[in-house]
Amino acid sequence: MVTSSVTTSQVLITQGIDIELSFNQAMEGIGISPDFSHLLWLPLPMLLVLIAAVIGVLVTVWLERKISAAAQQRIGPEYAGALGILQPMADGLKLLVKEDVIPKRADGLLFTLGPVLVLVPVILSWLIIPFGQNLLISNVGIGIFLWIALSSIQPIGLLMSGYASNNKYSLLGGLRAAAQSISYEIPLALAVLAIVMMSNSLSTIDIVEQQNSAGLLSWNVWRQPIGFLIFWICALAECERLPFDLPEAEEELVAGYQTEYAGMKFALFYLGSYINLVLSSLLVSILYLGGWGFPIPVEWLANWLGQSIDAPLIQIINGSIGIVMTILKTYLLVFLAILLRWTTPRVRIDQLLDLGWKFLLPIALANLLITASLKLVFPFAFGG
Amino acid sequence: MLGFLKKVTDYAKDAIGAGNYLAQGLSVTFDHLRRRPVTIQYPYEKLIPSERYRGRIHYEFDKCIACEVCVRVCPINLPVVDWVMNKATKKKELRNYSIDFGVCIFCGNCVEYCPTNCLSMTEEYELASFDRHSLNFDNVALGRLPTSVTTDPSVQPLRELSYLPKGVMDPHDLPKNQKRAGELPTEILELMQQNPPKKFSEKSAKGNNKIEKNA
Repeated sequence: MVTSSVTTSQVLITQGIDIELSFNQAMEGIGISPDFSHLLWLPLPMLLVLIAAVIGVLVTVWLERKISAAAQQRIGPEYAGALGILQPMADGLKLLVKEDVIPKRADGLLFTLGPVLVLVPVILSWLIIPFGQNLLISNVGIGIFLWIALSSIQPIGLLMSGYASNNKYSLLGGLRAAAQSISYEIPLALAVLAIVMMSNSLSTIDIVEQQNSAGLLSWNVWRQPIGFLIFWICALAECERLPFDLPEAEEELVAGYQTEYAGMKFALFYLGSYINLVLSSLLVSILYLGGWGFPIPVEWLANWLGQSIDAPLIQIINGSIGIVMTILKTYLLVFLAILLRWTTPRVRIDQLLDLGWKFLLPIALANLLITASLKLVFPFAFGG
Repeated sequence: MLGFLKKVTDYAKDAIGAGNYLAQGLSVTFDHLRRRPVTIQYPYEKLIPSERYRGRIHYEFDKCIACEVCVRVCPINLPVVDWVMNKATKKKELRNYSIDFGVCIFCGNCVEYCPTNCLSMTEEYELASFDRHSLNFDNVALGRLPTSVTTDPSVQPLRELSYLPKGVMDPHDLPKNQKRAGELPTEILELMQQNPPKKFSEKSAKGNNKIEKNA
């Protein structure tokens, strides 16, 4: 919503709703200078996205508990609110009031800094997540690359908290987390690179725009099926979800790098891992499943109904459909991740590294090469 | 070159096979989502314990002869039998009897060996308490009968798996008076008395003959 470049803001005026512009105009109407109204505007989208992320996590935690229960023929949380929807709130509240223990022989500073370093990059990555044409905090030019860069800060935090805990399980968990993150970042980046090559841009907005020319049929998942699988596998590994939850494998390492953590510091890890899951699902839906796009383009529907796409009502419907579609696609992927959790056994560390380096990396490279050649041969279909 | 190609195809086949297995597993977990929960919602629903359930021990003070057999057969000599010798009548006079259920392992040996059947096992299993010493039951506490799950109005009693009719897996919403699978021991006995099995009667006849020969 905060647009810096002139060209994009001109595009925004002609296309879609620009809440920032209306806000600024309303503020000027009261008699507030444009600079000050900009300053007033700045925290609003950030706060909104932060709230959206936290609510997203609460919903995901609830879904995880309910779907896990259903897969195991249990009922799951039932008494905290209707169908137990307040259960994640209760969990969070409990962690909030729990005693914050720092082990005697642990390094206090690094022990405290670890969870912060894990959580902050994940939340920062929400900067580039678009929920609609103009519904994102900042249309950064390097968009998706920013996310890759930020996600590589996370293993440092994990290693830091593992080492500072002064506990062998924590250290092993931290080392595993670092090894895993480093090995899966490369195929992940290569899969993203193929997408970037097709859309000629790193910006998430452009990537989604490029997919929505013909609705469902023009989504990247048809042009990049292998890239989609690679990205999904790597995203699961980056989130430390099963089958790649080695860093916190409870049967072997108690709880990995989280072993010594309690109270709010543990809650930060917990929050971080779930925000990361939602973020990864969001990115899969943005990169491969057409982001905010409806399976049939809304422009076509508007034309068919004889309405102008610039009509205010159509604009509002369009915006709502965008938000709903993004969230729907994301939660379908979250559902798949939860179902996978109860389907797949955990891989061994050697199998994990084999899969990363000997399978995903060569395939991702081949995929990149094939995409490049296809782009040269069929420039109309592969964004020449 | 051919060797390399074969390797590549084998590798691809392996990958596709792995994907196939994953899809099969996912279909299994997905199918489980639409099944009814098998869990018993404990404080509201309870399973009816089987007739041979070894729960808290019941004790009848008036039947006890203070023989201390229960103490001797107990793996840890747990029951405390407090009696004195009445010199006038030359009989044991029982004063107190207690079993500590915080220590008891519910093996049922005392019940098995009690000569006067004053010990028996109930279906009570809810023995949680705030203090472990309150699990030391004296003869008054031991003489109390537990509330049956079937008569408790606040509890939905559910039958155990082996007590369900043939082919039924879910104890919920079961029509009343449904017979369990198989025959009850009494029914089997009745059936045997009506038409005694051939082998059994032949054998017993032979046995009788032997006895006659020996005589």
